[in-house]
This record gives sequence, structure tokens and C-alpha cells, in this order.
Amino acid sequence: MGTTMTLDKKKSKKITPWLFLAPHLIIFAIFFFIPVIFGIYISFTNWDLFNTPTFIGLDNYKELFFNSDSTFYEQLRIGLKNTFKFVIFSVPFCIAVPLLLASALNTKPKLAKIFQSIFYMPSLFAISAVVIIWKLIFNVNYGPVNNILNTDTPWTGTQPYAWIALVVVTVWWTIGGNMIIYQSALSGISKDFYEAADIDGATAVQKFFKITLPAIKGQILYTVVMTTIAQFNIYGQPLMLTEGGPNNSTRVLLMYIQQNAFGSGQSIAGIASAMAVVLGICIMCVSAIQFKFLKVED
Amino acid sequence: MKVSKLVKLGLLAGASMTFLSACGNSGGSSESNSKEIVFWNPFTGADSANIKNMIDDYNKTNPEFKVKNVSMKEGDMYSKIPTVVNSGKNIPDLNIVHAERIKQYKDNNMLTSFEGLLEDYSEIKAENYVPEAWNLGELDGERYSLPLDIHNWGTYYNKELLAKYAPNALDDNILTFDEIVEAGKLASKDDIRGIALTWVKPNYMATLGQEGGQLSENGIDPTLDTEESKAAIGKWNELYEEGVSTKDGEDPNQLFLSGKLLFLPEGIWLQNIINGAEFDWGLTNAPQLSDDMSQVINWSSSHQFVMFNNEDRSDEKTKGILDFIDWVRTNSLEWAKAGQNPATLDILNNEEYQKMPQSFFINSEEEQNTLKIFDYKYNGYVSEYLESHGFDALFSKVSIEDFTSGLQKEVSDKISKDNTNK
Repeated sequence: MGTTMTLDKKKSKKITPWLFLAPHLIIFAIFFFIPVIFGIYISFTNWDLFNTPTFIGLDNYKELFFNSDSTFYEQLRIGLKNTFKFVIFSVPFCIAVPLLLASALNTKPKLAKIFQSIFYMPSLFAISAVVIIWKLIFNVNYGPVNNILNTDTPWTGTQPYAWIALVVVTVWWTIGGNMIIYQSALSGISKDFYEAADIDGATAVQKFFKITLPAIKGQILYTVVMTTIAQFNIYGQPLMLTEGGPNNSTRVLLMYIQQNAFGSGQSIAGIASAMAVVLGICIMCVSAIQFKFLKVED
Repeated sequence: MKVSKLVKLGLLAGASMTFLSACGNSGGSSESNSKEIVFWNPFTGADSANIKNMIDDYNKTNPEFKVKNVSMKEGDMYSKIPTVVNSGKNIPDLNIVHAERIKQYKDNNMLTSFEGLLEDYSEIKAENYVPEAWNLGELDGERYSLPLDIHNWGTYYNKELLAKYAPNALDDNILTFDEIVEAGKLASKDDIRGIALTWVKPNYMATLGQEGGQLSENGIDPTLDTEESKAAIGKWNELYEEGVSTKDGEDPNQLFLSGKLLFLPEGIWLQNIINGAEFDWGLTNAPQLSDDMSQVINWSSSHQFVMFNNEDRSDEKTKGILDFIDWVRTNSLEWAKAGQNPATLDILNNEEYQKMPQSFFINSEEEQNTLKIFDYKYNGYVSEYLESHGFDALFSKVSIEDFTSGLQKEVSDKISKDNTNK
């Protein structure tokens, strides 16, 4: 009897954590793990979403990497190049601007809470709403930007302005998330450090680089990696703001993936999946490199 | 384990299951034995209210099978269709799809044929519909779709500006490129744009047809890097080069509504927006190469009723679906109010419809013959390229030659992935 009860206790101890984990695990499996495995499998097939996928081995990858006459080879090249460009252009600003704003708000100026709300609010908007707002701002004929500058620049239709517009919109839209992370990190730094630095005659810049940054290195690593991953998945802004133009210069890989898989024409899901796998591998590699270089020393 | 613990864990598991099940069936088909027709359509814009009103009116007639309206975004609907048809679950009882999609669905054996089902519906026949909208539903001798409407591309114009810059241009109700250039040059002196460069697809395709070109000669292989194709896209690029068109980045609708634009090539469905103009406006044919009425081509498309294969669809429900389609044939005024042209010729007997600007496209056989649906099986691939690169060609960012050769190459490469022709 006693032995049975002990066994029951042991069993319930084993099963209880799994039951708590179950909702997450089920959702993770259904919405992430299974689709990823299925997507990788599809990348080795020719599939139009209608008929049975035809297994073609590495043909999709061969075409993407070695067939320079193929449209899809070109798409991967252009799409990846523009995606990397966007990551390089936007990530520094998506880190630096929220960090500066969080540092400023950390000094508890007047109306700090109102400013915090104003900076955070764009993060709550849908990308379509964000783009509509900025399209009006950049409007050639009636936009405030051209009115103030007294020009008729087509901001979203010529380079380098198209990239500038995309980065501005993205930074404005994503300030909130990182800013909140930095604010909570900054509030955790002991004031003793700053007081000691004041006594030693440190300037504000010195305090920022010698105290603030090292103290929140972990949060910076997290936001750099997460922001990079997010920006690799750039889609909505170029789709709606620049429509991939001018002359494909802002057409990112996800736009090609979406068009090939779910465009107006018959689906080319095999090639689209192969492109998605390549993008996934790129994101993993870049994230691994970032971890290596930004790793917090224990 | 205590009972309370078991209860807690049971609740936890139950809650997660409930959450997951909530992610499931949304807008799927009705049960096979239910008295409801689940009707998927891509009407989420200004026309969503019109289709809803139509369905409400039909349901008020107390049919045996009531129609349940499921409007969803076009892209979402077209993404869902292959999934539900393949799975065999949640297949809608009735669907609206665009004309250009039908060949693709038919070749993939997804559509239920109407052959033999129309015997009790003697008025659902070619004589009662606009030919272009009716004919495309017949493939390899079998009928796979029935038309709701035929919506086309035309040209809106500002009557005040027309009187000032091109008083005689529309005497024949045909607007030629030469007339546009002439009027546009006069208008540009007053900082008025002559014509808007709008959606490239209908503009290019209509002009391609006028040039005597076609998207494909055999229905499979594209013929897009031809002299006709170059001339068609070149004609629109010329308007930009001549300085009579809108410029890169300008919003044509905004310019038109603010009285700064003479001609706006757009769809008849845009009327709900154009009605906001505070000046007199008119609607005419799309820009033409020739003023010979027999040569006029207006790009058109059509919303068509289709039934996707579904083993669970009973004969009674199929009859209920056809009852609804037959009712729409004689009750399409509400759809015309959305700016559309119903495909049923019964609408011509309606006085209210006759006063609508778009009605002239249907009123005469001569005008009906100008409506051309480009139902090339791979129209979607052509559209993708035009939407991605069209404005680059129009605004001289790429050469016409590079544009057409790129178009031919991309469409050919995408077609090569399709197994249905092999």
C-alpha cells in the first residue's frame, strides 16, 4: 500500500511539469516545429499546393545556387542582398535610438511618462496603418516632408531615398519594444556607480560608455539578436511603401518567397520553401556570430 | 495525487485544448446535411456591403437553403482554397473566383462541372448573359463557372478640364493616345496632369490587344517579348516621356479628386471613390490606339460562381446553389450599385441601372464587344511581373527591351515548374 502511494507520487511528480508545459509544447509543435519540418521537406519537392508534391532531391537548391540563367537564382541573389542591406541599415538605428531615448527618460525629465507613451505607441500599430501614415508624410504633392523641404522628391520611388524612408519608418515603428527593455535594464543599475563616477569627475559620455553600457550588455545582446532576426524577416514595409522598387532595389527575399508560394499565379511552393530554408540558415548563422561576438563573460 | 490537483491539471489541459480548437474551423463549409450554403467571396472592400445586402434580400425570400456570406481578403481566400480542397474539409459550398483563375483550377481537377445541372434552369443560358463573361466558363466543352459580373477598365475624366483642353476628344466616346498627348500638353502649361499612370496590368494588356498581340498563342507558352508587347508598354512610357502623365510617386486618385488631373484610367468599381469629386465627371472607354469602334478593347475581368469538388455536397444543396444563382440573374441591381456591371442582360431592363455611368459598357452590342477578358492560364505570373516591374518601365527606370525580355523569361521560368502541362 505504502509502496503504491510512493510510486503514485513519483509518477505524478514526473507528469506534473509536462502537463504545465503541455499547452506551450502543443502550440510550439503545431505552429512551429511541424511547419518547419514540413517546409524543409517541401523544399526538396516540386509542389503547386494542388497536386501531390513530387520529390526532386536537391534540384531546387541547385537551381537557386548554380543555375545563373534561372529567374529564381536571380531572385535569391537580389532578395538576399536587399535583405542584408536592410538589416545593416536598420539594426544599428533600431538599437541606438531606443537606447538613447531610454537613457534620456531614465534621467526622469518632466512629462517622462507622456514621452514614454508617445515613443511606445507606434509599436502598437499594425504595419499597414504605419505605412499609410508615412505614405501621406512622404507624399510627393501634398506630403509635409516635401512641403517643408520645398522639393518634389519621390521619396519611395528613387534611391537612396527609398532606403532612407524604409529605415525611418521601421525605426519609428519599432522603437517601443527595445526602449522598454532598456528602461527596465537602466533602472536596475545601482546609483552608487554614478555617484562614485561623479566624485571622480566623469563626464556624462564617460558614464554612459563606462557604466551604463557594460551594465546592460546582456539586454543589448538580446535586443541586437532579436532585432536582427526581426529585420531579416522584413516584408510589410517594402511591400507597401516602396513595392520593392525602384527597379527591384528594395525587393527583399520574403517578398519573392511570398509571391512564389502565394502569388497571383499558380504556386511554386518547392522553390519558395527552398528560399525560406536559405533565409532561415542565414538568420541562424548571423545570430550565432552575434552571440559569439557579444557574449557576456560569466 | 490530490483530487484538487487533478482538477487543476484537467482544467489546464482543457483550457489548452479549447484554445487550440478555437484556432480551427472559421468560415468553413456547412455540414452536408445543413440547410445552409456557405458562400466564399473576395468582397471585402466597398462592395462588401452590396453583396451582403444581396444575400440578405435572397434569404428574405425564404429559400430552402439560406446563403451564409463569408467575405475574406482576396489573397487569403486564394491561399485557403487549395488547402481546403486538398484536405476535403471545410470546402465552401459556393465560391466566387476571378475569371483568370478558372483554367488553373480546372486543370487541377478542382472544379465541379455544371454539365447536366442546368436542365431545370432554362434561363441560365448564353443568350441571357454578356458573351465575354459567359463564354470563359466553358472549357473543353464543359461548363465550370457561371458569371456574376463583368468588371472592366475605363477612363474617368474631369468634364470641366475636358471642355478646356480637349473639347472634341470624346465626341465619339473614344479617347485615343494622340488625343491624350495633345490635351496633356495644353494642360501641363497650367500644371494640370493629362493622364494618370495607374494599374499597369489592364493598361498594358488592353494596349497589347489593340496592337494585335496576345499573352500566349497556344495557351501555354508566353509571347511577351514581341514587337506588339514592346509597343504596348512603350505607348504608356511615351506618355511619361512626353510630360503629359502623372509623375513617379504621385497619387492619381488624389490628383483627380483635387481637380489637377484630366484623365484617370481606372476600374468601373472605383466609382464609390470618384463620387467624392466636387466637379462633374464622366466615364468613357480606356485609352485606345484607334478611333475605330471595331478596334476598341477594354480590359475586363469577371467574378464567377464556381463549386469546388466536394463529395459531401448533396444534390439538394446543389439545387439550392443554382436557385440562388438563378435569383441573382434577375436581382443584380444591388451589385450594380457597387459600380459593377452585372453579367446578366436582365439588368438592361432596369431604369435605375440605365442611369449609372458604367451601364454604357453593356448597353450596346458594339460596346459589349470591346470587353476582353485575358484568361490566359498563366495570367497570374504575368500580373506578378507587371506589378513588380511595370512602373519601372513606365517611368523610364528600365528600358522597354529589358522589361519585355524579363517578362518573357520570368513567366517562362515559372511555367516550367508547372506539372499540369506535362
